Amino acid sequence: MWWKALSVVLIVYSLIAGTLVPLKPGITYVSPQTARSGQQLVLQLHGYNSFYAQSPANDIRVWLQYDSAQALTGQQIRVLNDTTLEASFLIPTELPRPTASVMLNAIIDHPADGVSLLPSAIEIVKDSIASQANWSGSNISGLHVKKDFSFPYRNVIYESIRNTYFHVPMWFVLMFLFIASAWNSVQFLRFSNPAQAAALDEQKGRSLLDFDRKAAAYAEAGLLFGILGLITGMLWAHYAWGAAWSNDIKQLMTAVALLIYLAYFILRSSFDEPEKGARLAAVYNIFAFASLIPLLYIVPRMFASLHPGATGNPAFGSEDLDNTMRMVFYPAIIGWSLFGFWLAQLRYRYQRLLDKATGLD
Amino acid sequence: MLFTLLRKEFVLEFRQRYAISGIVLYVFSMVFVVYAASIKVQPQVWNVLFWLIILFASINAVVKSFVQESGARQLYYYQLADPAMLLLAKIIYNTLLLLVLSLLAFGAYSVVAGNPVKDIGLFALILLLGSLGFSIAFTFIASIAAKANNSATLMAILSFPVIMPILLTLVRLSAIALRLIQDTSYQRDIVNLLAIDAILITLTFVLFPFVWRD
Repeated sequence: MWWKALSVVLIVYSLIAGTLVPLKPGITYVSPQTARSGQQLVLQLHGYNSFYAQSPANDIRVWLQYDSAQALTGQQIRVLNDTTLEASFLIPTELPRPTASVMLNAIIDHPADGVSLLPSAIEIVKDSIASQANWSGSNISGLHVKKDFSFPYRNVIYESIRNTYFHVPMWFVLMFLFIASAWNSVQFLRFSNPAQAAALDEQKGRSLLDFDRKAAAYAEAGLLFGILGLITGMLWAHYAWGAAWSNDIKQLMTAVALLIYLAYFILRSSFDEPEKGARLAAVYNIFAFASLIPLLYIVPRMFASLHPGATGNPAFGSEDLDNTMRMVFYPAIIGWSLFGFWLAQLRYRYQRLLDKATGLD
Repeated sequence: MLFTLLRKEFVLEFRQRYAISGIVLYVFSMVFVVYAASIKVQPQVWNVLFWLIILFASINAVVKSFVQESGARQLYYYQLADPAMLLLAKIIYNTLLLLVLSLLAFGAYSVVAGNPVKDIGLFALILLLGSLGFSIAFTFIASIAAKANNSATLMAILSFPVIMPILLTLVRLSAIALRLIQDTSYQRDIVNLLAIDAILITLTFVLFPFVWRD
C-alpha cells in the first residue's frame, strides 16, 4: 500500500530533518546587561551557532535598537572568536522617553551569518540630570540574509524549537482520528435500523458491528496520540516554562478530552450484548465529540495560557513558522496522520479477527 | 402532550417524596461539611466549593430520571408519547428541579459561609443558565447510563468530562459576579454558554431515538 510506505518515508524524513538541521545564528546574551546614559560602553555579544571570525571585522555591523526609527551604531568592532564580538557604544545623555530606564534590542549584521537579534538585551538606566530627546535616526539597512536550510533561532526555546515537528502534529492526528471515530459512530447509527442492517449484511460480509470496531479503533489510536502529545508537550514545558505541568488551560482541557475517551471505552465494555453496547457507545461518542469542540476551541480562549498565540487564539499563529520549518512541519503532519490511520486499521482488523475466532460476530 | 408529561414528572416526584427530600438533605449535608471543614471561606474558595456542591447535587438529582420507573413502564410511555417529548419533559423538569436545588444550596451556603456575591442579578442568571446546561447534559447521560448495570458510577464518569466546558464557563462567570475578575465583556461568555447548550440539546434530540429502544 503506497500510503503506508509514504507515512514511513515522511516520518523518517521529519525525524532526520527535524533533529539534524542546524539553527540559524543567534545572540544568547550580552555583557554587561545594564549601562548608564552618557557612558562610553564596551559591549560583548555572545553568539550561538555563529561564525563571526569568518568575515573581516569591518564588514560586521552592530546596533542597539530602541525602536524602528532610533538606534545606536556600534564602533570599533572586534571579533574575539567565532561566538564573541566586542563593540563600543557612546550612550547619549538623553533618553527618547521620560522613563527611568529603557530596554534596547541588540542586532548583529554579519555577511556570512546574516542578521540576528536579541530583544531587550540591555537596560539603559537614566542619569539624574538627563532629559528627554530623540536619538539620531537609525541606519539599519542593507541587512544580510542567510540563505541556507536552517531553523530560526528563538530566545527561550532555543533548540527545543524542533519539538514543533513532534508535539504539534500529534494534535492534528488526534483530531483527524477522533473525527474518523465520530464518523464511524454516525455510520453505525445510520445503518442500525433492521432493514438497513440486513442490506449491509448482504454486501460481501460487512456487518454493522464493523462500524463500532472501527470507531473504537480510531478512538484508541487517537488516545495514544493524545498521550504522546501530552508527553512531548510536558517535555517541552519542562525546558521552556520551567515545569512539566503548570496547569495551563490547554493541558487541563487535553487531560479532560482524554478522560472522555476513557469513559467511552468503559461504557462500550459495560454491556453484555455487543449490539446494545455498540449502539450506546456510538451515541456517547457523538455526544462527547460535540463537547470536545468547545473544550479544545472555545474554553481555552477564555483563559490565559502559556502557549504561543495565547488568549484569543487556539493554536500558534502563522508568524511562529518560517518556510524552512514548513518544509518539515507539513510532511510530519501528513506522515503521522497516515501512520495513525494505519495503526487504527491494524487494531480494527485484529479485533474483527478476534471476534470472528471467538464467535462474537 | 408536553404539559401532560411534565405534570406526570411533578406528580411522580410528589408521590415519591423520599427522593426529593433525600436530595435536599444531601445538599444541606454538603454545605455543612464545607462549613465544618473550613469556618472562614475566602471568596475564591467560596466560588469553587459552591460549584462543586451544585455539581454533585445535580448529578445525584438527575441520575434517578430514568431508573426510578421500571423498564416496562418506560416502554408503555414510549408507546403513548413521542420519545423526544418525553425527554424534553424530563429536561424541563430537571432544569426546574436543579434551579430550586441551587437556590436552596445558595441560601444555606450564604448562611453558613457568608455571601460574597456582589452582582446578584448576574449570579441569578448564572444559576439559571447552570441549571439549564447541567439538566441537558445530565438528563441525556442518565438515559445512557440507565441502560447499563452500574449506572451510578457510569453516570459520574460519563458526565464529568462532558460537563467540563459548561462548568468552567460557569465558574468564570460566577467569579465575575463575585468581582474576583474584572471583565466587562462577560456577555460573550454567556453567548458561549448558550451556544454549548444549543449544540448539546440539538444532539440530544438527534441521538435520543437511538437510546430509548432496546
